[in-house]
Amino acid sequence: MRLLFTNLILLLFSLSVFAQNKSVLTGTVTDPTGAPLTGVTVFIKGTTSGTITDIKGIYSLNNVSTENVVVYSFMGYITQELQINDQKIINIQLEEDNLNLDEVVVVGYGKLHVKDLTSSITTVKSEDLLKTPSGQAMQALQGKVAGLQVVSAGAPGESPTIRIRGIGSYPGRGNENPLYVVDGVFFDNIDFLNTADIATISVLKDASAAAIYGVRAANGVVLIETKSGKPNQKAQITYDGYYGYQVAQNVLKMANAEQYTTMALESGSAADASFILNAMQRYGRSRVNPNVPNVNTDWYDEIMRPASIQNHSLSVSGGNDNTSYSLGTSYFAQEGILDMKNEYERFNLRSKIDYKASNKVTVGGNMIFSNATKYAPESGAWNQAYFAVPILPIYDDLNVNATPTNYANAQDLGYRGGQNPFPTLKFNENKQKIRKLLANFYVKLDLIPQKLSFKTTYNHNFTSIDQRNVRLPYFIGNDFQRVDASVVKRAETYSNQTWDNILTYTDSFGDHNVVIMAGSSYRDQAFNMLTATGLNFPTDQEQTYYIEQSETVPSEDVHDDGLRQYGMSYFGRVSYNYKSKYLLYGTMRADGSSKYQQKWGYFPTVGAGWVISEENFLKDVNIIDFLKLRASWGRLGNDKIQASDGAITTQVVTTAINDVLVSGTTTSSTFSSLKWEVTEETNVGLTAKLLNGRLSLDADYFLRDTKNAAINVSIPSVGGSVLKNVGVIRNSGFELALNWNDNISKDFSYSIGANISTLKNEVRNLFGQPHIDGGQAEFRQRSIVGEPLLAFYGREVVGVYQNDAEIQADPVALENGLVPGDLKYKDQNNDGKVDDDDRVVLGSYFPTFMYAFNLGLTYKNWEFSANMLGQTGNKILNRKRGELIWTNDGNLDADLATNRWHGEGTSNKYPSSAGLRKGWNQKMSDYFVEDGSFFRIQNIQLAYNIRKKEWFGFPIPETRISLTADRPLTVFKYNGFNPEVANGVDTQTYPIPAVYTIGLNVKF
Amino acid sequence: MKKLKYSIQLILYIAVIMFATSCEDNLNDPAENKSFTEGTDYTISEDMDLPLLGLYAGFNDKGWPNNPLMAVRGDDVNAGGLGDQQDFAETDKFNYNKDFWMYNAVWEDEYADVFTSYSAIEQIQLYQEFTSNKALGDQYIAEAKTIRAWLLFNLSRVWGGIFIPENSDPSNLLVASLTSKADVMQFISDQMDEAIPLLPDMRPNERTDIPGGVTKYTALAIKALANLEMENYQKVADATSQIISNGGFSLEPDFYELFKIGGKLNSENLLEMQYSDFGMGAGDNKSYLFAFFGPQGWTPKVTGAGDGWGFWEPSMKYIKFMLDRNETVRLETSVLFTDRGIAEIEKDPNYATLPSWISNTTRSGDQINDYARAMFASGKHYLPSDELTPGRTDYGTNKNFTCIRYAEILLMHAEALTQGASSSVMSADDAVNEVRARAGLAPLTGVTNEQVMDEKFAELAMEWGTRFYDMVRLGKYDELSYEGRTFSADLTYLPYPQNQVDLLPALQGNN
Repeated sequence: MRLLFTNLILLLFSLSVFAQNKSVLTGTVTDPTGAPLTGVTVFIKGTTSGTITDIKGIYSLNNVSTENVVVYSFMGYITQELQINDQKIINIQLEEDNLNLDEVVVVGYGKLHVKDLTSSITTVKSEDLLKTPSGQAMQALQGKVAGLQVVSAGAPGESPTIRIRGIGSYPGRGNENPLYVVDGVFFDNIDFLNTADIATISVLKDASAAAIYGVRAANGVVLIETKSGKPNQKAQITYDGYYGYQVAQNVLKMANAEQYTTMALESGSAADASFILNAMQRYGRSRVNPNVPNVNTDWYDEIMRPASIQNHSLSVSGGNDNTSYSLGTSYFAQEGILDMKNEYERFNLRSKIDYKASNKVTVGGNMIFSNATKYAPESGAWNQAYFAVPILPIYDDLNVNATPTNYANAQDLGYRGGQNPFPTLKFNENKQKIRKLLANFYVKLDLIPQKLSFKTTYNHNFTSIDQRNVRLPYFIGNDFQRVDASVVKRAETYSNQTWDNILTYTDSFGDHNVVIMAGSSYRDQAFNMLTATGLNFPTDQEQTYYIEQSETVPSEDVHDDGLRQYGMSYFGRVSYNYKSKYLLYGTMRADGSSKYQQKWGYFPTVGAGWVISEENFLKDVNIIDFLKLRASWGRLGNDKIQASDGAITTQVVTTAINDVLVSGTTTSSTFSSLKWEVTEETNVGLTAKLLNGRLSLDADYFLRDTKNAAINVSIPSVGGSVLKNVGVIRNSGFELALNWNDNISKDFSYSIGANISTLKNEVRNLFGQPHIDGGQAEFRQRSIVGEPLLAFYGREVVGVYQNDAEIQADPVALENGLVPGDLKYKDQNNDGKVDDDDRVVLGSYFPTFMYAFNLGLTYKNWEFSANMLGQTGNKILNRKRGELIWTNDGNLDADLATNRWHGEGTSNKYPSSAGLRKGWNQKMSDYFVEDGSFFRIQNIQLAYNIRKKEWFGFPIPETRISLTADRPLTVFKYNGFNPEVANGVDTQTYPIPAVYTIGLNVKF
Repeated sequence: MKKLKYSIQLILYIAVIMFATSCEDNLNDPAENKSFTEGTDYTISEDMDLPLLGLYAGFNDKGWPNNPLMAVRGDDVNAGGLGDQQDFAETDKFNYNKDFWMYNAVWEDEYADVFTSYSAIEQIQLYQEFTSNKALGDQYIAEAKTIRAWLLFNLSRVWGGIFIPENSDPSNLLVASLTSKADVMQFISDQMDEAIPLLPDMRPNERTDIPGGVTKYTALAIKALANLEMENYQKVADATSQIISNGGFSLEPDFYELFKIGGKLNSENLLEMQYSDFGMGAGDNKSYLFAFFGPQGWTPKVTGAGDGWGFWEPSMKYIKFMLDRNETVRLETSVLFTDRGIAEIEKDPNYATLPSWISNTTRSGDQINDYARAMFASGKHYLPSDELTPGRTDYGTNKNFTCIRYAEILLMHAEALTQGASSSVMSADDAVNEVRARAGLAPLTGVTNEQVMDEKFAELAMEWGTRFYDMVRLGKYDELSYEGRTFSADLTYLPYPQNQVDLLPALQGNN
């Protein structure tokens, strides 16, 4: 409260305006063709006195005097300065700036000229974002930014996994996500944003760029600017939308009934053979092959459906001398391709207003409200569909006791589980109402015109998630039934407030140019959760899905939780250049957090740049327009690491004593004192524009070390793990982005771009331990010093034993009773045994090389663009195949069934059906670990523009019609239907569908 | 003038930026919704039982693979569940796979409770500093030691040499060394000697504070079990004598009912894991996963009652052994027959005609159907569908799991005496005959050790692997080499789980 009061006083204090009466200057600003330019900034150098050209390109400046210099600046054009002298009217033609050197980019708490940057920032603009039909804006960045890995998520409303320059934090706890800053407000994900509302997304790739965000920045920072209105712009109403369909791609072929029957009979298991027999008795024999049951279910095909996707955005933006505004609403809806209540719907409202109250005071507000409903998929169904046997139908008329639907039950054939995925799909529903609000308000004071400004901003982002998971009762068999209807309600709210105060000073002293920023930020984050479960409520209609309607509310299932964390930060930045030739850059942030025992952290960065093209010896080299060498170093923190217990904690547990529920306590002795991770990164790079701006090039090499990475360390004997800051993880790589633009003629222009990036992930130190284990015991992933984090670790398969002679010749085979058709492992240490000492690193799930191309063609009113991308070097653990080591009951993929060993010479890759069932000889090996490389045509778009025409006398607004194919083709070898597996372990990944849409953009 | 004004403004703005420091106090607020143990009020003496009840909760909350892995290798029971969890079946056949998840799961689940017992003792000691009733604290600590002894006893029988932790911090195991099985058993025996004088002198079901909790006789029983493993037969006889003469235990007359709802907190039980649905058809429920042991396919008397997974098949050897002895009570209670199983027995000309009472329908009216994974199911883990609380359908819900019962005490007593120990409390004949009487068998005179071992086989089959560990101890490997298996001394212990070998230096090179 005190703070607010102080601010108010300051505000009033600065409202005093100095006024001097002088003459008036007017004129028109045009582009090289003579067409008027709207929105050009016209101001008197060294003051805040300025205006903006109107729709006819006309401007008018009051209070000018003869010695004043007028500056005309407009994005994409070369800035011009003119002395007024005695002129009353100045008409001026601005030249186009092919080099875009005046382009500015948002950096944390301010903006800088791109040419003055010493760090690595890639910005993607609205036009490029809109080509991707997705509810998730980050999805549009796939393949667009060198060094950024986007792992798509197929389920509607799910955010893709984003990795900026590899992974420096132990994965799987949500702490490897980058920080999103939307119009200055921090977010963990931006699933609530409508892509069409975004003006730019800037990826701050290196530590020097991100360090201003200190303890939040270690996983990289993504800055998002939403669209704003422009001063002196007439109201523009824009509709942008698309409608389309999603179609599953590369659906994995499973063994059909005939292949499955063959495998089962070859397994040597009497039980398996009897299940086939049972199926033939129950469902009859196939007329094609009488030894196969007369059922052939393709479960993947059955559980998928074509699904629609659509987005409609309507926005209005504009402005006058003092005010600019942008308002909009949008609706997005996407069905999931999984055949259940699986969809995502989002309705957004937004408004952004900036008002220049006086020469010195600007106030503004920004509000985005997002109201989404998500029906989450039962992801387990993908797994069930893989394992469900093809000799089981969906429905079974003989299952007369089943209710409410006569689904078939694999238990009736003798299998352990019911297998049929349809009860999961049809009797489960997971609903989430997600409401997010971003609200902020700022006051900006220009204390010394064009030089010193103060800005104070209060932000509040509020999220409420109401979850309702309903499980309806069914009976399919005694052991495949759900007796109790249950409804789990869970209410979560997140309330994050920040208050930022920023002082910015910009000045030039002769050839010395400097921008200095100092600020403070106060954060208050709160989280609250309450959940309870109700059993047996009226299930006929949704309106009675309430705990209040339930017969029973188990006390064990009532939980609440809360979190309150505070943060206080001070930060500053100095950006200096001498003649725009020598650049120096530095930021410092001190972050205080209530989350850890260690309260304060300090995050500095320094950078330097040398614009070689400004040197005399390059001035005359015509092909080089701009050439800059840059280098930087910075330190970042990651406070997504969970707060440590810091001390022994006590939990309440319950048990039955003499049929009474009693409570006791257990005290855990495993605790750790955690702190944030610290990452240090060195980046050297080169930026060039060549051949009159037609070719641009950005190259970077980085070395990023996470110094005290928090890693899950297994607790010996007890199981589970405890997080400890015990590692040093290094990511290093090279990134190159090239773009070529040219106009062949007035009608035809084209662009070609490519970017590549390499990545080496390496565990550098584990503080004395040789390795730290992760993953499942049977499918070990191990972090070893000198190897990638969580590398797959197991044996190498040399082949399959082909005949008895080979068995007899191998002591390992004899000792273990192996037979032809069993896998043969490599004796790595040549000790005559194959055991756990023969395990080696089998690969990592991080791609070592990513590449992307894009092509753009414009001919008259036609536009064509195509993007392609791919990655190599990563491995995927085909965990689905691994299930067989425990149970015979499931189906197998067709590749395994077809190419299994079934006699000498039939396969040296896959074991026999019997060999597959020997759990003790199916060790973690490169049989399970497959190549995850893929190549994809990411996006193809064809568009036609109707530009201000009249048809039969009726005016036609500016219209763009587009056809888009998103991810129409993916090529890979992996035996799954999706090579995009975020953590490399493929148990059940939601397929990534291809999307085909027709789009319309109309500007009224 | 202008400059001065700017300077004042500038100073003020910097002040605002720095002023926010007043919010820094919040940085020291503690985390929400966490009870830090350092915040526990140890002066509230009534709370002293909380850590102990927490340990009982851990003891009752047993992972389903624990008992099966401990007990599967005897000639009384086969893995069953054919075609599923192959490495469990391989373990039954003495082909061990240290990568098999069950080995690690059992190791970790048992050890988690061992460490809980240490932390419970540490917590009780903190309460003891303030309570006026120090003796009660001593009793609670003795109870924790008794539970811990049971856990270590089972771990050591399975793996031989194991770790005996020194406190509640598992990371200390990184530098610990293994204790041999003999030393573990001696440790258990010594611990029980410490605990016995501090524990309540009554049956567990006579306790009113924690009904079914451990008593002096539980500790004596565990002492007897440990000494039996060490072949200290006189100590076995001494401990069992005390239980027999002073414990007030008796055999439940209805053997069938002992393993049903009526067996809960029975006067025969010295230690049991307790479960309950609290008499309600829905809501809170504490249960062991009895489905593992149940038949995979039945026509229950109460429709809709769930069946089992088809593991835990009584061996043909055991069934024929029982038929040879004309057992009815114990055979009916121990084995659920399927038609396929009955036909399989009858294929043997010696058993072409079975007693008429043998059928695939239990006396409670549940019909066991044929299923591919096994021919028989375990009767001791079976709860009739009509004993389920209406609304509950999971197999075995509301049934307890008995760990030590008085029949085993009597038979251990007889075994010790036939191995040369002496007792003035009860003779071997009397002990054996008390058990036989309940089974409806005629008394014996001058029982031999072999007869006692047969009696144990008949009485304790399918429960805790007693048969396997007896035969290993007595070196009767030919008994274990049945139905195609071959047992030898080097197969006595399971290999340490690979997961633990990778973590714990002491286990490396020990497999």
